[in-house]
Amino acid sequence: MWVAGSRRREIGWAVVLLACGALLAGLTFKVNSIKSQVLLAERQIIALETEKRILEIEFQARSNQQQLADWNRVEFGYVAPSAGQYLESERQLAALGTARGVGAPEPIRVARAPEPDEEGGMLAMVSPLTGRPASAQAEEPAPAPEPARQPHARPLAERLARPEPAGPGLQVLQ
Amino acid sequence: MTALALNRSVTVGHSRSSILRRQTLLTAQLRVLLVAGAFALVALVAVVRLGYFGLSDRATRITSLEEALLPPRGEITDRNGVPLARAFPAYALWYNPSALGDPGNPLVRSPERIAADLKQIFPDIDAAEVARKLASGRPGYLRRRVLPEEANRVQDLGELALELPRETERHYPQGSLAAHVLGYVDSEGKGHVGMEQVLQDRLTDPMTRAQPVALSIDMRVQGALEDELRRGMLATNAAGAGGIVLDVDSGEILALASLPDFDPNRIDADGAQNMFSRVSSEVYELGSTFKPIAVAAAIDAGTVRDFGRRYQASRPLEIGGFRISDSHPLGPSLNVAESLMHSSNIVTGQIADELGPERLRRTMMDLGMHQRPYIEVPARGTPIWPGDKWPRLRNITVSYGHGISVTPLHLASAYAALVNGGVWRPSTLHKLEPGEVPEGRRVFKASTSYRMRQLLRLISTHGTGRSADAPGYRVGGKTGSAEKAVRGGYSKSLVVSTFAAAFPMDRPRYVIVTMLDEPKGTTASSFQRTAAWNAAPIVGKLVPRIGPMLGVMPDDTRDVDISDLRPLIPGADQ
Repeated sequence: MWVAGSRRREIGWAVVLLACGALLAGLTFKVNSIKSQVLLAERQIIALETEKRILEIEFQARSNQQQLADWNRVEFGYVAPSAGQYLESERQLAALGTARGVGAPEPIRVARAPEPDEEGGMLAMVSPLTGRPASAQAEEPAPAPEPARQPHARPLAERLARPEPAGPGLQVLQ
Repeated sequence: MTALALNRSVTVGHSRSSILRRQTLLTAQLRVLLVAGAFALVALVAVVRLGYFGLSDRATRITSLEEALLPPRGEITDRNGVPLARAFPAYALWYNPSALGDPGNPLVRSPERIAADLKQIFPDIDAAEVARKLASGRPGYLRRRVLPEEANRVQDLGELALELPRETERHYPQGSLAAHVLGYVDSEGKGHVGMEQVLQDRLTDPMTRAQPVALSIDMRVQGALEDELRRGMLATNAAGAGGIVLDVDSGEILALASLPDFDPNRIDADGAQNMFSRVSSEVYELGSTFKPIAVAAAIDAGTVRDFGRRYQASRPLEIGGFRISDSHPLGPSLNVAESLMHSSNIVTGQIADELGPERLRRTMMDLGMHQRPYIEVPARGTPIWPGDKWPRLRNITVSYGHGISVTPLHLASAYAALVNGGVWRPSTLHKLEPGEVPEGRRVFKASTSYRMRQLLRLISTHGTGRSADAPGYRVGGKTGSAEKAVRGGYSKSLVVSTFAAAFPMDRPRYVIVTMLDEPKGTTASSFQRTAAWNAAPIVGKLVPRIGPMLGVMPDDTRDVDISDLRPLIPGADQ
């Protein structure tokens, strides 16, 4: 009885050992297969990095400073911007849009007929698929009533016009 | 009896065939067993091999990403990280006559035919030269830096003797840009001439080469400087040109150009002749650009206190049998500001004479004029220094830039000290972090430096430097046109014209020195050879190009305050 139990235990241990061995082998297989995948990915990375480097070098060689300077001068006639083309501070930017001072000459205004479809003075956006104006397309599915115009949606000419001077004494007669 | 015998013979025959059959069967079974055994052995070997592959990580340990991506030589970038020199994994076209194993005829087709085909792939090669190399039967490079698509086209030629080994080359994407700063790498991987030589150990050490080395150069500024210098050089038929853009507060060199230059991607005999740098390794007498230094030394020493004082300018100075005169009459007398504006040798000589040789010599030494320039590149010119004991005549000639020969880099560092508040700092090609800027040494008082800003600005608004005055950038600078020293005296026809400038003068940030070697009088320079007509206009065109890149915006509403000097200058109020 005791002998039979001992043998069963021995067999049990052997089975456990075998199972552990099998699990270990399986795990090692799995680990090595993932390592192989990592290696493959690394090789792909190396190949892509090499390709990237070649492309970078090609771009850099094509963006040769000397060549670009020659093109800018000879082909396009570009020159460095002059001092008057720079605005250094917000103060300078604001100075461009100040209200007219007292006694300043009246601005010359040119008469112009309003265009009915004008949208801020810009050309209408045309859908590349249908060829119809994008605004018309957007309105098609739901022809909702036109919303109240926002201040920024005013026509360009209107927006660029100088603001009316504040104060009753500075009212400009049009 | 007969029947019995027959029966016996039948039995014997039957048993013999039975034995035979058994033997045959046994043989067949044995063979099947052998074949099965062999198969089992092969299967076992395969399983063991599979198990080995599965259980061992030997195969997956071979390569490492870091090692594979580590360049064979580190990159060099500009201060903004734009690569200036990098490794280029290209192919080489190598001719291997023994590839076919037939020493008599290494090529399938004739060398001329192959050379013509190669000419179609690489239009710039010399077909006759290539055909000669192919016919010679000696192994050698036919071409290097072959791109992948070109390599594919060479493979399509079907010549086994044309091999395409993969090689990592040193490549300079901008070609000859900053060639004197970078230098080049030879076929053995050794750096020469510029920072390639200086950084040889750092760029090849596996521990450090993965990290690119940033130089102080700004590629855009360098490109603009070279472009304007080249135009100026060609317009005046000059033998050469040099230029520097230097940060006055840190000593960092943002651009350094010497023309004619060389292409580090392709070193040939012509390129080798141009490897000396006119900016850091060649010394020149830089002429009148020294006058502000002498005047600053006199202001600092207190020998010039009254800016209204007038010095005689009509009679040449006669010292020891030598006559020091001006190039043209400048009137009976001039004050200090006028003498700089009109570049008077006579007045500067008198100012230096009052200052004395020892104090001018001390100032020049404080500005590093007696030693080789501070820059990392190995080729640094040794100044021709007048020695320890200066006679009176030498003191006067040095004050207007003769009798002392320095590099244009010396002059740029001196001008930086002149305008930055009076502190001289060594120039460097390494990018400096804010905490790494050297303390420097004080040469001039801050008040002297401020006065020099006013005087230099006056020169470019009312004096000889007007063509450098880019509107809005508050440029100030001094012209210098020195006759070139030749055997037995000075040449009357060869000059070195220099313009040393700083901008913006209300808060100087950068010094620019441009120099033309042996410019001629051409239509572009109104048939003049002096710096006001050739070197100064280069600065005038360069500053609007580089100013906004360097954070200096043009502003007509700012300038250095010259109201206290204005009454001393006739016509300055107009």
